[in-house]
Amino acid sequence: MTEETIFDLLHSAVVDYVVQSDGKASENSIKADAKDEDLSKLEYIGFFTGYRMIERLTREMPRFKDELDTMKFICTDFWSAIYKKQIDNLRTNHLGVYVLQDNAFRFLTKLSNGKQYLDLAPRYVTFTCGVLRGCLANLGIESIVTAEIQTMPSCKFHIQVQRPC
Amino acid sequence: MTIHNIYIFNKNGNLLYYNEWNRIKQTGMTRDEEAKLMYGMLFSIKSFVNKISPTDPKDGFLYYKTSKYTLHYFETLTGLKFVLNTDNHAQSVRELLQQIYNQVYVEYVVKNPLIDLAQPIESEIFKEKLDTLIKLSPIYFSKSI
Repeated sequence: MTEETIFDLLHSAVVDYVVQSDGKASENSIKADAKDEDLSKLEYIGFFTGYRMIERLTREMPRFKDELDTMKFICTDFWSAIYKKQIDNLRTNHLGVYVLQDNAFRFLTKLSNGKQYLDLAPRYVTFTCGVLRGCLANLGIESIVTAEIQTMPSCKFHIQVQRPC
Repeated sequence: MTIHNIYIFNKNGNLLYYNEWNRIKQTGMTRDEEAKLMYGMLFSIKSFVNKISPTDPKDGFLYYKTSKYTLHYFETLTGLKFVLNTDNHAQSVRELLQQIYNQVYVEYVVKNPLIDLAQPIESEIFKEKLDTLIKLSPIYFSKSI
């Protein structure tokens, strides 16, 4: 069994745990359906993971020129460090919005290659949103990260950089 | 025209998956009944083979053959059972069953957190990958002599 498999299985166990413990808490009030599950805990776990990981990954890196340079680092080195592949497409409007597209996102490749299970897919990308936010935060970039899934296993991460007014 | 159908049973004898490709004759009973009958027979053959074996049986039951078809049986250490019916000319079906287990079941069922391992498999991607593997296999196309 490879090291990736262990990470995959641990990740799905964490997702399962968070979803279940939240399900129990909200059961008393209103039965939350899958669409508006509270995944903030999961995002928070991701945030801490990313925050700490970037510390180790960048210890021998030269300084980044600008924000775009940082994003490029995320798409190549950082993504291959966790997902063993690079981001397939990076787009930006040069106003602080970046879209990172992964055509075969690792946590989704085994789930489906179409619309099946689409309503449950957000569970499996939230952690990664947190990881992205966490590592950007440690590099001095405050941001909001959301994910968009249309057909699995492809996934788009939207990064909105919060600029100080 | 050579792979007829496949059954996948879990260790408790529940039918997890069934699919057929070239099955000309149906039993006329429901799928559930048929699966129960099939599992019962496999269970009996397995214990019969192990009891009657004059030496240490090792792999145990591997396949049986009639004049028209061969039933290949593959059981994993975890008790998962794969049953594949082919014609009598099929070669190296064991490797194919291994591949089905390694490349399709483990990848798209075990590693899919949304699948309950005790329930029949509903995943579309699993069905698709299994169908592709079967159809690409040389056994599927081998001509009867």
